[in-house]
Amino acid sequence: MTNAIELHNITRTFGRSTALDGVTVSIPDGSICGLLGRNGAGKTTIMSIIAGQDRPTSGRVEVLGERPFENEAVLSRISFVRDNQRYPDNYRLHHVLRIAPDFAPNWNADVANELVDGFRIPARTPIKKFSRGQLSSVAIVLGLASRAPVTLLDEPYLGLDITARAMFHDVLLRDYSERPRTVLLSTHLIEESEALFDRVVIVDQGRIRADVASDATGELAFTLSGTTDAVDELSANQPVLRVHAVTGLKSVTIEGQADDALLERAEQLGARVGVASLPDLVVAFGAGTPDSSRPTTPSISQPAAQKGVRA
Amino acid sequence: MFTADSPIFQQLAAKITDDIVSGTYPEESAVPSATDFAVFYQMNPATASKGVNVLVDLGALYKKRGIGMFVATGARDLLLARRRDEFREQYLQPFLREAQVLHLSIDELHRMIDETKEDLT
Amino acid sequence: MKAIASTVKLHLNLREYTFVVPLSITGMVAAISVLISLIFMRSGSVPGSAEWIYGSQANPGILYALAGFLVYMGVASVATTFPFALSLGATRRAFVAGTLVWYAITAAYIAVILAVLAAIEVATGHWFAGFYIFDVNVLGAGDTGRLLTIVFLGVLSALTIGGVFGAAWIRFAARGPQLIAVGVVLTLAILTIVIVPEAAAVFAAFRLWWLAVAAGVVIVLAATGSWLLLRPAIVR
Repeated sequence: MTNAIELHNITRTFGRSTALDGVTVSIPDGSICGLLGRNGAGKTTIMSIIAGQDRPTSGRVEVLGERPFENEAVLSRISFVRDNQRYPDNYRLHHVLRIAPDFAPNWNADVANELVDGFRIPARTPIKKFSRGQLSSVAIVLGLASRAPVTLLDEPYLGLDITARAMFHDVLLRDYSERPRTVLLSTHLIEESEALFDRVVIVDQGRIRADVASDATGELAFTLSGTTDAVDELSANQPVLRVHAVTGLKSVTIEGQADDALLERAEQLGARVGVASLPDLVVAFGAGTPDSSRPTTPSISQPAAQKGVRA
Repeated sequence: MFTADSPIFQQLAAKITDDIVSGTYPEESAVPSATDFAVFYQMNPATASKGVNVLVDLGALYKKRGIGMFVATGARDLLLARRRDEFREQYLQPFLREAQVLHLSIDELHRMIDETKEDLT
Repeated sequence: MKAIASTVKLHLNLREYTFVVPLSITGMVAAISVLISLIFMRSGSVPGSAEWIYGSQANPGILYALAGFLVYMGVASVATTFPFALSLGATRRAFVAGTLVWYAITAAYIAVILAVLAAIEVATGHWFAGFYIFDVNVLGAGDTGRLLTIVFLGVLSALTIGGVFGAAWIRFAARGPQLIAVGVVLTLAILTIVIVPEAAAVFAAFRLWWLAVAAGVVIVLAATGSWLLLRPAIVR
C-alpha cells in the first residue's frame, strides 16, 4: 500500500502566527479521507501545501512520490478547488469548462455535463454574480470531472442544498468506482459525509489530533455522562478532551478507551459510558485550551491492501 | 441510514444478512457488488467491500470470477445459526437485565412471553 | 512546453477580450479622430492642405488610448488570471512564460491590424476625405516597417508593464503597485538628472532605435520583475 500523500513534520508560519505545527500524516493511495476540524484549524493550509500552491516553512511534503511545488508533472495530477476560488472577470461557465481540460489530462466531459445539469448551474450568468451554492457547484465540477489522481476538495458543500449534496455524493462514489483516485475532503457536515470516508484525519490548532481508519474512530475516545459528582470522580485522572455541564449533570469526552475498572465503577455510580461518535470526536478535539506538552494521538495504521483500488 | 452504534461495515453486513435470511437474496442468486452497495447506501466503497467480505469470510457469500457475488447454498441456515448464537447476547441478556430492574420473577416472565406470543399470532 | 501552451490558451480563453476589445478601442479612437478632423474642417481648415496634414499627423491620440487600455490589460492578465491558473495546476514558471507569449501574440495582432488599417487609409486617400487616423507620426507616418516595430514593441511594453504591476499586486496587495510606481519615478528622476546637463547633445544624437532599445530593456525588466514577484507568491 503506497501513500499518495505524505507530510513529514510540516510547519507553516505566517509572520508570527503558526498555522501548522509539526504535521505528519500519510494518506494511502485510493483513500477517501475526511479532513475534519474547526475553522482555522489548518485544513486549508494543509491542502494548499499538498496542492503545491503554498510551501511549508519547514518539513517535507510528497505527493505521488514527489514534491509538488512548481512540479508540472505532479500538479497536472492534482486537483484542488478551494472554497474561495476566484475566476477571471467576465468568466461564464463555458469558459471554465473550455479551459479545464487543458490542465486536467483525465478530464471527462460526461461527468462535467452530468454535474452541470444536476446542479443547474446557469450558463449565461457571469460567475462573479453566482451565489455561494453555485460557486460550490462549479468547484465540484472542476474537482470531480478532472478525475485527478489526487483530488482535494475544500468545503465543497458550502451553500449546496440537500438535493445537490446527495447528487454530489452519488457522482463522487460512482466516478470513484469507475476511476479510483485519492480524495481528501474537508467539511463541517460530519454526519452527512461520515459514511464516505475510509479514513479520517482530525486537525486542531495546526496539529494532527487523530489519523485513523474510519472504523477505528470508536477507539479514540469515549463519553461519560451522569451526575456531576459521579463524572468528576470517574474522570479524575483521565485525559479529558471536552466538558459539557449544566447544574448537576455533566458529560465529558475522554481520550482513549475505558478500562474495566472504570466501567465497573461507572455502573456502580449510575453513569453512562458510550462510544464517541465522529462528530463527538471533532468537537472534543476542537474544544480544548491548547496543551502543548501533550503528544499528538498516535495513528492507528490502515491494515492490508484495499481491494481493487488503484489510482 | 447508518447509526453511530457500530462500525459502518458491520452495519452493512447486518443488512445483507437480514436480506439473505428473509429470502430477499435467495441462495445461488447474485447480490449487488460492493460498488453497487457503496453507491446505493452512499458509503465508502472500501468499507462496503469490508462489509461484504464479512459474509464471504463466514461462507455465506462467494465470488464467481468475472460475474460477481453470489449467495452460497446453505447461507440462510448458516446465518440463522449465527443469529441464534447472537440471540442470547443481543436479546436475552438485555431482556433479563431489564427484568431484574423491574423485579419480574421467572414465572411472570414466562406468562408474559406466552401472552405476547398469543398477541402476535 | 505543454504547460506554457496551456497558459497561452488560458489567456486566449476570453477570446473577445484578446481580439475584439483592442479593435473596439481602435474604432473608438478612430471615431474621435474623425470628430476632431470635422471640428478642424468646421473651423476653416481645409482638408488636404499642408497645415491640415501637419496637424492631423501630429495627433497621438491613438497611441495614448491604446496604451492606457493595454496597461490595464496587462495588469488584469496577471491579477485575475494568475490565481485561477495556479488553482488549475499551472506552475508559476509556465504562467510567466505563457503570459509573455500571449503578450507577444497580442502585440503582433494589434500591429498587423493597425498596419492594415494604415495601408487602407493611405490607399483610399485617407478615407476619401482626408482624415488622418493611422497615418500619423507616432505610428511612423506611412512607413509600414516602422509602424509594425513601433506598435509591436509599444504594445509589448505596455502589457509587460501592466503585468509587473499585476504581479506586484498579487505579491504585496495594494502596496505592491505603489512600490513599483515609486521605483519607476525615482529611476526616471535619476535618469533625468543624469541626462539634463547633456540634454542638447543627447537630442542631437538621438536615434529612433534608441527607443526600440529602451522598449526592449523595459520589456525584459518588467518580465523579469514579474517572474521574481510571482515565484514565491501564494494565493490564500
